[in-house]
Amino acid sequence: MHPGRSLLRCLCLWLALQGPTQAVQAADDGRDPIVVQDPHYGEVLFYFYQEDYFPAIVRLLAAKEQQQLDAHADEGELLLGGMYLSYGHHLEAAEIFERLLANNVAPDIRDRTWFFLAKIWYQRGYLDKSQQALSYIERELPKNLQREALMLESQILIDAGDYDAAIAKLQNWKGKTEWARYAKFNLGVALVRLGRVEEAARLLDDLGNLDPYNDELTSLRDKANLALGYALLQDGQARAAKAPLQRVRLEGPFSNKALLGVGWADAEMDNYQRALVPWMELRSRNLLDSAVQESMLAIPYAMAKLDSISQAADHYLNAIEAFYEETNRLDRTIQHIESGQFFDDFVEDDPLDSAGWYWRLEELPEGLEGRYLFHLLATHEFQEGLKNYRDLSYLYRNLDEWQMNVNVYGNMLETRKEAYALRLPRVQDSLARADLDGMVSRKLEFDSTLNNIEESHDWLALATRSEFEMWGEITGLESTPALRADIPEADEVRDKIRLLKGVLQWNLERDFGDRLWRIRRNLRQSGEALVATQRSRRQIDETMRLEPLRFDELSNRVYGLAPRIEGTKVRVEDALSKQRAFLQSIAVGELQAQKQRLDIYTVQARFALAAIYDIAATVGDASE
Amino acid sequence: MTKTLISLAAMAMLAISISVAAQDVAPLNADAAMAAAMSAQASESESRDQFRSLDQDVQTLKKEVLDLNRDLFLLEEELLFPANSQVAFFISMDVGEYFELDSVNIKIDGKEVANYLYTAREADALIRGGVHRVHMANLKTGDHELIAIFTGKGPHVRDYRRGATITFDKGIGAKYLELEITDRVKKQQPEFVIKEWE
Repeated sequence: MHPGRSLLRCLCLWLALQGPTQAVQAADDGRDPIVVQDPHYGEVLFYFYQEDYFPAIVRLLAAKEQQQLDAHADEGELLLGGMYLSYGHHLEAAEIFERLLANNVAPDIRDRTWFFLAKIWYQRGYLDKSQQALSYIERELPKNLQREALMLESQILIDAGDYDAAIAKLQNWKGKTEWARYAKFNLGVALVRLGRVEEAARLLDDLGNLDPYNDELTSLRDKANLALGYALLQDGQARAAKAPLQRVRLEGPFSNKALLGVGWADAEMDNYQRALVPWMELRSRNLLDSAVQESMLAIPYAMAKLDSISQAADHYLNAIEAFYEETNRLDRTIQHIESGQFFDDFVEDDPLDSAGWYWRLEELPEGLEGRYLFHLLATHEFQEGLKNYRDLSYLYRNLDEWQMNVNVYGNMLETRKEAYALRLPRVQDSLARADLDGMVSRKLEFDSTLNNIEESHDWLALATRSEFEMWGEITGLESTPALRADIPEADEVRDKIRLLKGVLQWNLERDFGDRLWRIRRNLRQSGEALVATQRSRRQIDETMRLEPLRFDELSNRVYGLAPRIEGTKVRVEDALSKQRAFLQSIAVGELQAQKQRLDIYTVQARFALAAIYDIAATVGDASE
Repeated sequence: MTKTLISLAAMAMLAISISVAAQDVAPLNADAAMAAAMSAQASESESRDQFRSLDQDVQTLKKEVLDLNRDLFLLEEELLFPANSQVAFFISMDVGEYFELDSVNIKIDGKEVANYLYTAREADALIRGGVHRVHMANLKTGDHELIAIFTGKGPHVRDYRRGATITFDKGIGAKYLELEITDRVKKQQPEFVIKEWE
């Protein structure tokens, strides 16, 4: 099958699906092509190439079970590992790789596989396994993966709180690529966490002044400036904090926080007039942003400091009102999320045939919730949780379909059993009437008779009925008494009879050989037909013996699988509700945090307002 | 209100910035990451453990459902197409320079049994080496005639329709027939070959 097909080793195929860079590498891999030697393996590839991993895995497992993949045993196993990984079944994939990668695969492919496994495990929160997979990499990865692997390794250390080790790992990083800059940023953050602000400031300042050539780097520069600004503010260096904060773009994802920070830096330096400039700019921005919310308190705070008490009071009242409305919206959203329907909407419009690791929800469903939760999409935990939720929904639907099918198969089997039971007596009756042994004896008798005829050259025995009758008539005429008379007429008739007898005998003897051959041929064909009939008979007997056993075996399987489906379905349903509860807890937790922040702001606003009223009352009393 | 608010805000913002960094193994939507980092580190770790425990359950279930699907797939095949009467028809392509497959029509003993229209994704999977099981049938032992008609775009993107036929002997065991589309480079034409597998 497929002579000359450029089918590279299966792992290269899987790696090739990981991204364009790897695809190029796989294509450049100059290994000998593998020829698809079995249609079943080709069928697995048909689904694999369409990235329909579930049916591909099922077919591969079925073909393995039936020993139909002997010609592709090794690559079939590796392909299975790759597909498990693509399907998000990473633990099973790792088992296969651990078993097979040691000896069977080129080191560069093995290292790349471990790298991808490490990446998946990191995203799924298996930090220990991710670290272990990275430790299996023996040689140098291609440059781009090498940088990513180092980032991954340091990130794992940062996540585990081992900042010193992360710093040590990243300190020697000399590259000028985007990854190097991310490494620098992470290193800066790790240093801030260790309280080494001065060291962090050097790194972050460097990043904050970079000349970006794409959106990602612009965003990274903003983040570095923001982190540095707030680190310096926290360190009591308000003046120094202003410069990095002012470097953040005015329109961008970090601009609100930066504007707020600039205001606080001025406020720290008792310059409330200046602080009001960035804070007033925030007033016109989206109230969902915590920086905008906080600016609603910061503005009256500055105004109060500038003795604009009445304006400050107005702003506090506005803030309390806005926070109240926002809190109500949050409450409604929390209620909707807790109702359970929300997460089904996430996967509702999504086709369920491409489950797996690569799926990613890019947009939230329309509605209030999307407004509050859009940032959750960027978190690994939420995305991976959603993937699991989606995969579980797929499993549930799959089991649901099988449950219906198995019921149909049960009915089908019962119908077949009934039809079999109905037909069996008729077949048995026909078989009893068909005397096969008698036919065989008769055939043997014919053989023997024919042998005798041949031996004795009994040409009359092979005469046709009409010839035989004619022969009888002629011999009958011969013995007619009238012909014995000695008269010329009788002589004439006797001559005619002799002539006729002679002609007939001549013809019969002439055709004897031909007739003998034809009869022998017919007998041979009858013999063959008899043998075939005997074989069919044996098959029928065998079928009659095996069919009830086959029915039993199929019944056991059908009726055994039905409860297995039911049991698994219940467990999938249970896992679905746990997964939903987990996602709900993340989403609700996020909303509660927003609500809590609004509550704190509201309390602060009320206290500030009370203080203003107190001051106003005291001033009033004094003036009276 | 006093300046304590300022340090509160600074601390919160610093926490945000740090957590943003913690998300940055790969460049992410910065605004989304910013807000996602609001949760505290301790609860992050707890939540990660909870996620991992759930993920392990999902992994176990995936394994069970896949095994169950394998068993059901085999049962379905044995039930609907018993080995002694089973015949499977596969479509494959080699190279595919001179033919772009649109559809395949299959007739067995003069009776149409399959008419399959290929999507671009499926046709691509065929070109890359996939083999499509286009039809399964139950046939009696003995001789049968198969006619396959391929429709698509031939050389110079012209409409192309070609047939291939074979008389095959169905024995007692399962039988597989592969309808292969190959390129005949000399003639710059596609070639349609039917192969038998036992």
